[in-house]
Amino acid sequence: MTEKYVWIVVIGMALANFALRFIPIALLSQLKLPRPIERWLSFIPVSVMSALVVGEVLRPDGVWLPPLSNPYLFAAIPTALVYYKWRSFLGTTVAGILFFLVFRALLG
Amino acid sequence: MSGMPSPVVKQSPCPTARSSFFRGVKLGLPIFLGYVPVGAAFGVLATTQGFTALQAVVNSATALAGAGQFIGLSLMHAGASIVTVLLATTIVNLRYVLFGATLSTHLQATPLAGQAALAFSLTDETFAVNIDDQRRGNATGLSMAGVGAISWVGWVSGTLLGATASSLIGDPYRFGVAFAMPAMFTALLVAQADDRRHITIAVVAAVLAVVFALLLPGKWYIVAASVSAAGIGAAVYK
Repeated sequence: MTEKYVWIVVIGMALANFALRFIPIALLSQLKLPRPIERWLSFIPVSVMSALVVGEVLRPDGVWLPPLSNPYLFAAIPTALVYYKWRSFLGTTVAGILFFLVFRALLG
Repeated sequence: MSGMPSPVVKQSPCPTARSSFFRGVKLGLPIFLGYVPVGAAFGVLATTQGFTALQAVVNSATALAGAGQFIGLSLMHAGASIVTVLLATTIVNLRYVLFGATLSTHLQATPLAGQAALAFSLTDETFAVNIDDQRRGNATGLSMAGVGAISWVGWVSGTLLGATASSLIGDPYRFGVAFAMPAMFTALLVAQADDRRHITIAVVAAVLAVVFALLLPGKWYIVAASVSAAGIGAAVYK
């Protein structure tokens, strides 16, 4: 690939990504959304989080792992409990990494 | 919690600008932990496929697009046209429209420049952290800027590391950081699923995510599962 080709893509990607992120925020924050739409949007965060966890834990890096030998799945359970008990994101992330190292060693 | 988003960004009770920004930086530290190794992986891959180190770092610093950047790389490597590459990375990141729409209901009091800064740093991870903080009534424009800043630093410094020192760092995943993002999302899910309605919708979304992940390519399952699960939530819980 030529240097010019890469630069054009890099600049185009920056513009496209910014437009995609900025336009909905700039336009929709000016409007009073209808109540059913707001109610729908209020369920988006929990749904997104749930979908992200499913993807990251059951199919890390795009590969489905068998549940009984999946260190991500085993590590997620104590990780959830640690957050439930202590309510710290950073502490939970660090604890989760340790759980993951343990289960990855145990499950080979 | 009522399930209704509050209409404006609330000011935190002790809001010196500095403390608000640094509270955001602290909230974003798990993202930083997760981004450095993935950024490093991007830096290594980009420089082995014909990017200069500068191009890799500028790409990360200006696009902040994770999967979009990796897909861009593989298409460029396959000799795709500029338009194809740009279309593909835009489509991969269309879910940001949904995230932006969700955030917009909280940003009516935020000035346009602030909205632009938040939009620039909008990713799966910053969205998750900010929307959770917002729901507790703590988020301000500045705290969200702090979350965005530390995430950006993680992604860009990771890329720089990978692009310039790949032989020194070896496999960044041996430290278990592959679980940083899953761990953070798990914690955020527990935080969000705090009453019967939200637990029910989380379960619905999880089942739909598995189904859609089997049916659809790439990250489309995130949009498909969350749009439909939230639709069920809005229809059932009036």
